[in-house]
Amino acid sequence: MTSDADRLARLALSKVFEPGDARVAQLVLGLGAERLLTALRDHEDVAGLLADASERLPQADDVHRDLERAARLGIRWVVPGDAEWPCSLDDLDMAETLDRTGGAPLGLWVRGPARLSEISAPVAIVGARSATTYGESAAAELAADVARAGSVVISGAAYGIDQAAHRGTLAARGQTIAVLACGADRIYPSAHRDLLAQLAQHGAIVAEVGLGRAPMRQRFLSRNRLIAALARGTVVVEAAARSGAINTAGWATRLGRPLMAVPGPLSSATSEGTHQLIRDGAATLVTRGEHVLEAVAPMGEHLTERVRGIERPRDRLTSREQRLLEAVPVARPAPVESVARTAGIGVVEVRQLLEVLAGRRMVEQLPAGWRLADGAGHE
Amino acid sequence: MPFATTHTVSLSGATGHVIDVQADVSPGQVATVLVGRPDAALNESRDRCRMAILNSGLDWPATRRTTILLSPADLPKRGTHYDLAIAVAVLGATRWVPAEALRGVLFIGELTLAGGLRSVPGVLPMVLAASQRGFRHVVLPEPQAHEASMVPGMEVLGMRSLAQVVAELRGELVPEAPPVAPMSSARLLSWRGAERLDDVDLADLAGMEDTRYALEVAAAGGHHLLLSGPKGSGKTSIAERIPGILPDLSREESIELTAVHSLAGALEPGDGLMTRPPFAAPHHDASTASLVGGGSGAVRPGEISRAHCGVLLLDEFPLFRADVINALRQPLESGDISVARAEESVVLPARSIVVLAANPCPCGDFHADASIDRCKCREVQRRDYRRKVTGPITDRIDITRHLAAPTPTAGRDPLAVRETSAAVRARVAAARDRQTERYDGEGWRLNGHAPGPALTARWPLSPAAAELVDDQLWKGRLTRRGVTRVHRLAWTVADLRGADRPGTLEVEVALRLRSGEPLLSSTLRRVG
Repeated sequence: MTSDADRLARLALSKVFEPGDARVAQLVLGLGAERLLTALRDHEDVAGLLADASERLPQADDVHRDLERAARLGIRWVVPGDAEWPCSLDDLDMAETLDRTGGAPLGLWVRGPARLSEISAPVAIVGARSATTYGESAAAELAADVARAGSVVISGAAYGIDQAAHRGTLAARGQTIAVLACGADRIYPSAHRDLLAQLAQHGAIVAEVGLGRAPMRQRFLSRNRLIAALARGTVVVEAAARSGAINTAGWATRLGRPLMAVPGPLSSATSEGTHQLIRDGAATLVTRGEHVLEAVAPMGEHLTERVRGIERPRDRLTSREQRLLEAVPVARPAPVESVARTAGIGVVEVRQLLEVLAGRRMVEQLPAGWRLADGAGHE
Repeated sequence: MPFATTHTVSLSGATGHVIDVQADVSPGQVATVLVGRPDAALNESRDRCRMAILNSGLDWPATRRTTILLSPADLPKRGTHYDLAIAVAVLGATRWVPAEALRGVLFIGELTLAGGLRSVPGVLPMVLAASQRGFRHVVLPEPQAHEASMVPGMEVLGMRSLAQVVAELRGELVPEAPPVAPMSSARLLSWRGAERLDDVDLADLAGMEDTRYALEVAAAGGHHLLLSGPKGSGKTSIAERIPGILPDLSREESIELTAVHSLAGALEPGDGLMTRPPFAAPHHDASTASLVGGGSGAVRPGEISRAHCGVLLLDEFPLFRADVINALRQPLESGDISVARAEESVVLPARSIVVLAANPCPCGDFHADASIDRCKCREVQRRDYRRKVTGPITDRIDITRHLAAPTPTAGRDPLAVRETSAAVRARVAAARDRQTERYDGEGWRLNGHAPGPALTARWPLSPAAAELVDDQLWKGRLTRRGVTRVHRLAWTVADLRGADRPGTLEVEVALRLRSGEPLLSSTLRRVG
């Protein structure tokens, strides 16, 4: 059960510190948000945080105004202990930090009907902003596939793969969640006004930073850990060698969640990152929704069948029968002895096998000998 | 002096030559001689003219020698449209028609034995040629008066019979005559009516943003396009939407195109100048002659010329016969087609956007995803099929796009932007205006037709962009011909973006368009 004081203290701290500060997360875990806030307000230099905090501490007082403003915009503040808190985020406290970023968020600003605690089999689909049309359609297809199977799709709100994943999900009438690096009330990028409106209506928009905050480079990096942590598995669709998506992939690995990557054309620079992930053994190669579902489903569910070509009548023959069939001429009939010689099988056995094959209408007997029946040779 | 001259036009392809028809009626061995290299159909003109004159109640000089010269005499002549000029010349020689009435008048039309006038193909190019030579009056069959009047400054007299023409020339009351039948339509080869295209719009298609952009570039710069993809991936539907994003034809283009259609005898009476870009989609059984032009006797323009300034779609392109495919090489490169005959070589305009559509295999069901692959073709069939797609023709194609089979996702995307053809057409028109301005006074209008050396010398890429292209050449990813094509494409991309000169960004897009690699989504990003 969360106390109101804890909610407010977390909110105040989230205004003071940049998101994903692992030191803050550890202290909140140990001391509790209220005690940490009080200590800082008393100018106590807890773990050397005071210097960073002092500039912003005065702003942290008017948290009620933030909540009022958020309520007007239909945005809620969700903290650990709330019914809506997604427990999958708590794993972040256990995970190793990446570039000094880490830890569970102090709380989340959430907008939209999706309840974060109730999202089922969530899958993150991430990738390059500068994607190709190939990557975009792959992302949209994967998203639509997993959404149709009931998974919730999670991504950022950037150009390229992110928006394609959301649109694929919306097309399949699935639920989709965007985690932003800026305030949950901001439209960024501004061209995605309609997309964000759709998400607010049918899914959810989630942000760790306060309302009105601008997207900054560091905030994208800390945002990435939330995408990976909210999802049960992460799929990287197209990514250059060094990119935000590779950073998200790093978080999936740190969290021990399945990491998947979609291959691209050999020469494509936009697939270098995904190819690297596969080559390193960090990611499993996936090409369609069922592969993703198999990876994120509980053990033994959603098993995919191994892909085979169309089964042809020949596939059901024994190897000796197949070898004989190869030796039967297509058009001009040949006597048994000739077929036996070509196949390298004894005449007695050849006679038997030819009868079997004739029974299956694969060969036919003419006065001059044997040949393939119509159709048998052309499959 | 029993001698008279009339004028008509001889057509060689779309080029017309003014012919003087001189008739001399003088004492001598009784005969009618036609000289000046007439072909068989034209030689029969003597008989048609004689009967037409007699059956019109006029006199044929039956007791004297009639010599008819078609001059210049060394130019081979074919067709039946000389009849009227010959008959009138003979009547002029016998002084039935005053010689001064014949001065500066062009006569076109075939005669029936009853003295009626019949429509003939090619009226527009004939009148155009005569107009350039200073003729201001033309007499021709009534249904074709409208066609001839498209030529500015021409006074057109549409007549129904020889008797009417003679009465008019003599300044008498013009007698009644039965109406003339219009030319039979020759639209058998186009398997889709042109009207159908008025109803299709780009907004009907969901997704395919990559291909839409390629279409826009093709339309803006006049680039040829190869679309490959499995059955039902929308190749045909997207190709037939190209005319819709092309702007109206310029006056010059309209006249060229209408002239070609007139030559093909495909102009209906009442059809005005063709102002919209045409679309032709010949079936893959089409013969070389029907596609590039030819036929016995007069050279008839083929589908590729009838699609001049428009779009020629070769659906299931690898199923076309090899000789047909080879015959396309010249028009793809030069924008005209020359049909060589023993006696003459005829050049017809053929500057269309050629769209080749190909399936991945003969049955069209092949799919790279093994779980939905339903292809029943043998490997060797697939190989033969693909070999036809590559080769000398595709090297002359600027843009290659691979289409995926459509998925339900694209159609249901609530945020998909479905631009109308009109919106795209506006951008295409703007990009074309930039080209018109840049190439003012040159022999070409669009980037797709600009010669490589001229581009290199006068409209080069930015140094960084040129380096990028050079790099691809060194790596063997681009041929010399490919370099020129990328250069042209880069200009079109720049024209669409409103950039002053193609830089690395434009070249990146051009390289992708040419190689068939998917485009970067940032290239297509318009609205989110």
